[in-house]
Amino acid sequence: MNELAQVLKLTLHEKRDVALAIVFGVLAGLASVALLASSGYLISKAALTGQMTVLIVIGACLKLFGLGSAVSRYSERLFSHRATFTMLGNLRVSFFEKLSPLAPELYSKYRSGDLLARIIGDVESLQNFLLRVFYPPIVLLLVFSGTILFTMYFSVYTAILLAVGYLLTAIVVPAYFAWRKRRRNWKTRESRGALSAEAAEFLYGFRDLKIYRQLAGKEQQLARLAESYNEEQRSEGKEEVYSQSANGFIALLVSLAILASGAYFTAAVELDGLFLAMLVMISLGVFENVAPMAAFPAHFEESRKAAVRLESVVGEKPREKGIDELPEGSLSISAKNVGYVFPGEQRPALEDITIDLPPGSKTAIVGPSGSGKSTLLAVLMDILPASSGHVLFNGISSEEFPQESIWQRLNVVLQENHFFQGTLRSNLQIADPSATDEQLASAMEKVELGGFSLEMDVEEKGQNLSGGEKQRLAIARAILKKGEVWMLDEPVSSVDSKTGQLIYERLFEGQPDKTFIVVSHDLTGLEKMDQIIVLEDGRLIEIGSYNELMRSKGYFYGLKEIEQQVMA
Amino acid sequence: MKDLKQLAFEQKIAITLLTVMSVLKGAAMIGQAVFFVLVADGVFIKGKDFGEITPFLFGLLLAIIVRSAAGYLIGRTGVDMAAAIKRQLRLKLINSFKEDPLLSSAESHSGQKVSLLMDAVDETDGFFSKYIPQLIQSYIIPIMLLAAIVSQNWTTGLIILVTAPFIPVFMAIVGKRTKEKADEKMEQLNRFSGTFLDILQGLTTLRLFGQGKKQKDKIEESSKNFRDSTVDVLKSAFLSSLTLEYISMLSIGIIALEVGLRLVVFDNLSFFSAFLIMILVPDFFTMLKDFGSAFHTARGSVSASQMMDEEFSKERKQVVWGETELAEGKVPHLSLENLHFAYNPQFELRDVSIDIEPYSKIAVIGKSGSGKTTLMHLIAGLLPIKEGSLLIDGKPQEEIEESSWFKQFSYISQSPYLFAGTIRENIAIGADRETSRKEIDEAAEKAGISELISSLPQGYETAVGEGGRGLSGGEKQRIALARAFLKKPTIVLFDEPTTGLDLQTERVLQQSIEELSRYATVITVAHRLHTIRNADSIVFLDDGRVAAAGTHEELAANFEPYRNLLPLPQGGAPR
Repeated sequence: MNELAQVLKLTLHEKRDVALAIVFGVLAGLASVALLASSGYLISKAALTGQMTVLIVIGACLKLFGLGSAVSRYSERLFSHRATFTMLGNLRVSFFEKLSPLAPELYSKYRSGDLLARIIGDVESLQNFLLRVFYPPIVLLLVFSGTILFTMYFSVYTAILLAVGYLLTAIVVPAYFAWRKRRRNWKTRESRGALSAEAAEFLYGFRDLKIYRQLAGKEQQLARLAESYNEEQRSEGKEEVYSQSANGFIALLVSLAILASGAYFTAAVELDGLFLAMLVMISLGVFENVAPMAAFPAHFEESRKAAVRLESVVGEKPREKGIDELPEGSLSISAKNVGYVFPGEQRPALEDITIDLPPGSKTAIVGPSGSGKSTLLAVLMDILPASSGHVLFNGISSEEFPQESIWQRLNVVLQENHFFQGTLRSNLQIADPSATDEQLASAMEKVELGGFSLEMDVEEKGQNLSGGEKQRLAIARAILKKGEVWMLDEPVSSVDSKTGQLIYERLFEGQPDKTFIVVSHDLTGLEKMDQIIVLEDGRLIEIGSYNELMRSKGYFYGLKEIEQQVMA
Repeated sequence: MKDLKQLAFEQKIAITLLTVMSVLKGAAMIGQAVFFVLVADGVFIKGKDFGEITPFLFGLLLAIIVRSAAGYLIGRTGVDMAAAIKRQLRLKLINSFKEDPLLSSAESHSGQKVSLLMDAVDETDGFFSKYIPQLIQSYIIPIMLLAAIVSQNWTTGLIILVTAPFIPVFMAIVGKRTKEKADEKMEQLNRFSGTFLDILQGLTTLRLFGQGKKQKDKIEESSKNFRDSTVDVLKSAFLSSLTLEYISMLSIGIIALEVGLRLVVFDNLSFFSAFLIMILVPDFFTMLKDFGSAFHTARGSVSASQMMDEEFSKERKQVVWGETELAEGKVPHLSLENLHFAYNPQFELRDVSIDIEPYSKIAVIGKSGSGKTTLMHLIAGLLPIKEGSLLIDGKPQEEIEESSWFKQFSYISQSPYLFAGTIRENIAIGADRETSRKEIDEAAEKAGISELISSLPQGYETAVGEGGRGLSGGEKQRIALARAFLKKPTIVLFDEPTTGLDLQTERVLQQSIEELSRYATVITVAHRLHTIRNADSIVFLDDGRVAAAGTHEELAANFEPYRNLLPLPQGGAPR
């Protein structure tokens, strides 16, 4: 239950709706019991007397309880759902607050979109916590307490049997099934993951599989995984049916016991037979409220696991960092023996990199794909922490400064830049909320997007923009930020080379005193860079100006040779 | 919904079992009520002693056991049926993926297909595990209950017959209204739930721009809006169940009044019958209401089934193969005659005729979108030829035996796919036979990857992830080469990478293609000048047609577009 403590706290954050839901839930439960009780009494009474008045009074009660039960049920549903959605909102906010300090590092460490989908799914699945885990046992306890108190007046044995029935159906049986569920630990989720991964491999690797005659084998494997996922689902489904039926069976047995004891005491003239039908109807009615408890084990386990998984994402402590502010003025950046290893991988992505980026310098990082260019940039901008060595700002280790204080000074364009649903304006204003329309328009013109209206809608993830447009928009956004250091990761790879060169020229010439660090796979136009850093396999293998590198006829020269060989 | 129902009713055993169990459950429900009432009637009205009613208690116990067991079996059968059908659907989907020749070239829709296999199939679960069992019970049990009620008092039956139809009618009316309202709000709802994902996805951007903190309010606000409009939609759904509840309450009330009147005023109904009716009537209405909620779950399954239908009904033209086996190890003569292929109205490959001598080197060039890759796929036998023919040693491809053809060649693409597994497994996949350690070593050596592999702590047993995570582009390329060396093909199809390779891979690729071409015909989608110049014949594709073909010298002399393509070295003239 510890895992769910946090969720519980957030649920009870706004108590009013939860309290109202419980009150109406109890009222609805009690009214439906009362309805059945009065109908049982009505029939018994009617069998004995010929008085119309009794009939009318009880008939009126029947209507009252019926209406009361229906209306209370309606209110209960309304308030409990309101409370649930309030809780979900709180959960999102609290989760966001915890994720936010971890985000850039977490996202680039686990290069996967699954992480987010999983988070969203888990947050959503916690909506069942209030509705199906936390609140049914409480409502049930109160409904039973009320019913037991009432029956005590007529028959102590019935009251005791009801109490036993409550313990069995609301506590013992659900707890037993929850325990079984935890112990059996269904691998439904895992087998689903395996099937989904295998299906992706089947589809993405289709051509190679077909040519290498492996399609049939992979198909069988896929079918096998589909089978085992199906079997897990089947056995989990059966367990749920079992739990439901067991609970229902026990409830009926208790009603049988109540009938038997009632009949016994009626026969022994210790109980007025007039109440026998009523007591039986009460027991049938009150156990109808137990039905939701059958789903309790499944929802409990699901909520618990979701809470554990969410905790494992945000449970990582943010890196310890100093609290110094990065000093104003020009900024020199250097890396000393920097290395980086991605979690779970053995080969280092970066090894022993030492470079110097003085203020106002222009540096290009080049190298084949997978050589560690983007990783180096991420370490330089403090998104990823160096596994060894240090990144220094004005000679002081980056560990001394909070990330925000560093990022404030950087204009960053990543390979993948996020755009939010909204307009071009709202997306640009992320960089500078106070920017005027003139400033926004001028930034757009600098990246050759002058023809676009600021009011233009941007769809989710900017999917209505082309790759090149997104890249240029990201540059425009960075222009508005006015940091001293530009860090660009293949910023114009999807833009035609002429426009790309034009944008570079504008950036360089418009801001000669700013520092530029550009990752590029394209080797043209590097003549104007102060230094070119050549990486291979995570190691720095060459460094120098364009002319120096070309003269020394080393690795860069070789890459350049090949580039000139390539026909578009 | 019809198709899903058909699928369900094909499960004859399950349906029979559900029917039998529903009858049993109905009988047990009646039995339970009867014994309940017999006991109460016995001690209360007839004044029997406890010993006399004991048999009824045992009868009741039996009824309870039967009812629970039947209920349990109905549930299990539903789960089993859902599992059987989902299995069937998944296998059918996998099979339809396997037979889609276009898959080999279109990777873009793979994500959608995965979601079809996972989510869409799972969404049909509720239809089979909940809706169908409920449907069958709703056909059977209420009628049995009604019969029992009528046998006691026909007027009660009449009241039920008049009032009960209101429930499905109201359900339909209110359900339709709710659905309209829900649809209307759906877009709004999706937007709200999207905001959270949007913000989480953009968290890196937000933090880099120092906007992380401000977003908290945005989430809070959008969550509130989300809550309010969801509750709004739910309100009308709850209201509909309130109405239903009220209708059934009203009917029960009328029946109670009628039964009471007969008991008290006319005195022509026994306590036994009255009590029995009062137990059976609520059960009757509960069955109807349950059916309503099951109907609700079924609706979600329908759109999922429509998506699957679309996939199943796609027209697929298969590549046809024959019986003639190709001689192993003999480099075949290939001849393309007026080949024609169309993907969609926007793109087609027309009138392609190329003659490919054994051991020759062919370079295919052209702008992106000119059909180079499609041509490679056609030669490989991955796509169906629409018109014209591909002759292999003079025989049409349709007569060749499929696996003897695939044994002949290797395809080295720009981004070779590495499967989850060890490096050894990924190289061995190249050969369609048992391979020795030595063979794999040799292949890796030739592909210039053995040094790297032995530098890894686990060497050949190093696991590479899906798509070869953890390896650079050049390393994946070299593993693909090792596959080819192991396979010893007679035809090599090679999609030359444009950029991004390391110098070693560049060198290895050149040497390897040279080496492979000594034993095989090599057809390259070429991007590098030396590859093109070394080719025996260059095929220049433009907009799906062969615009020109010939050697470098011929094309350079006679074909203007080719000259324009050649890179200009420092001097300014083509090298």
